[in-house]
Amino acid sequence: MRHLLAIAILIAVAPALAAQDPRLEARLDPTTRAAVAALVDSARAAGLPTEPIIDKALEGTTKRASSDRIIAAIHTLSVDLQAARNALGPTAPDGDVIAGASAIRAGAHPEILDQIKGVRGKAGISVPLAVFTDLVARGVPADTASTVILHLAEGGASDADYAGLERSVARDIGAGAPPGASAAIRARVSTGEVGAAATGGPPPGVPATPKDPKGKPASRP
Amino acid sequence: MHDDDQNDELIGRVADELRIPVALDPGFDARVMAAVRRATPGRWRRALRWWTEPRPLRVSPLTGLACAAGVAALLVVGAVSLRPSLPSPIKGAVAVGAAVPAEPGSEMVQFVLVAPQASSVAVVGDFNDWDPSRTPLRAEAAGGVWSANVSLRSGQHQYAFVVDGKEWRPDPAAPRAVTDDFGSPNSVIVVGGKST
Repeated sequence: MRHLLAIAILIAVAPALAAQDPRLEARLDPTTRAAVAALVDSARAAGLPTEPIIDKALEGTTKRASSDRIIAAIHTLSVDLQAARNALGPTAPDGDVIAGASAIRAGAHPEILDQIKGVRGKAGISVPLAVFTDLVARGVPADTASTVILHLAEGGASDADYAGLERSVARDIGAGAPPGASAAIRARVSTGEVGAAATGGPPPGVPATPKDPKGKPASRP
Repeated sequence: MHDDDQNDELIGRVADELRIPVALDPGFDARVMAAVRRATPGRWRRALRWWTEPRPLRVSPLTGLACAAGVAALLVVGAVSLRPSLPSPIKGAVAVGAAVPAEPGSEMVQFVLVAPQASSVAVVGDFNDWDPSRTPLRAEAAGGVWSANVSLRSGQHQYAFVVDGKEWRPDPAAPRAVTDDFGSPNSVIVVGGKST
C-alpha cells in the first residue's frame, strides 16, 4: 500500500523529473519508470552512483518482477549505497561505493570498509570487497570473510593476492573443505604466516588420510 | 688320339677366321650414334624423371622412426605457432575462439553452460543491461556446450543464463549471489587482480 501511494505521487510529479535514462524509457512500464526515475534523481542529488539503480531496475523488468518488487529492490540498494558512501566518504570513487554496497548487503559492517580503505590507500578497495562478497557467496561467514580481507590488506596484499585467495578457497571448497577454515588458513598462507608447504596436501579441514565409515584410517595399497 | 688331332685342327681354323678383320659398312657408326641420341633424354626430362619415377628406398627401422618423429614434431610446432593467441579465461574451461582482446582495465571472461536440450542460450548480467538479446551463447560442435566470451571490467559482476528465452539458470560452476531480489538467483564473478 505504501508503495502504491509512493507510485501515485511519483506519477503526478513525473513530468517534472529530469531527463530519464533511455534504457528506462525503452524497457520499463510508465509506472515503474516514474518511480525509478525519482529514485535515480534522489540518488544523484545525494552523490550516489546511479548506474546500479538503473541496472537493478533493468534486472527486475527482464525477470518480469512486479513494479512493487522492483521499487522495493532499488530502494534497498539505495540504502546500501548511502551506507557505503557514508563509510567511505564523499570523495570515494563510484566503483568503491558500488563494491561497498554489495559488501554491506552481503553482511560486511560499514566500518570494515573504512578500515580496508585506510590500509589499502591508493590501491583501491573494489577488488578486496568483491572478493569479500564472493567468499560470503561461497559460504564463508561474513565475520570471517571481513577478518580475512582486512588481514590481507594489513599484510600488503595486492589485487592479484586477493584473486589468488579467491581461487584457492574455491578449490578447497570444491575438495570438501569447510569454507571458513579454508579462507582463514589461505589468508595466513598469503601473508606468510603459514609456510608455503602448508599449501600442499589436502585442503584445510580435510583429513590427510581417507577414513572408512567407522572412522579408522583406510588402508592404502 | 686321332680325335684330339681333329679337334686341334678345327680350333685352329676357327681362330684363323676370327682373326680376319670384320668389314663394317660406312654408315654403321652414324646409325649407332643416332640411336644412342634418341634413347638419351634431355636434361629437363631427366630431372623430371628423377623426381617422378618410383624407386625403392631402403632405410633402417631406426632411421624410419627418427624421420617419422621429426615430421610429427614439425607438425605439432607448426600447429602451435599458427594458432591465434587467446586471452586467458578466468572462469570456465578453455577459451575457444576468443580472438578479441579485452579492453584496458578489463579481462576476457568465457561463460560456458552445458545445455544439450536448449535451442538458444544467452547470458545476461550487469554488464549488458540484463538484455537477453545482447550476448547470445554460441553452440559448440557437439555435446550441448554453449559459450560466449565477454570483456568485463574489474570488480564483481552478477549474471545468469537465459535458456530458450524463458528459463533462468544460475551458473552451476559459480557461487550464487547472496541476495535474490526477484525470485531467480544470480551467479557472481570477480574480475580483476589478474597476475601478469
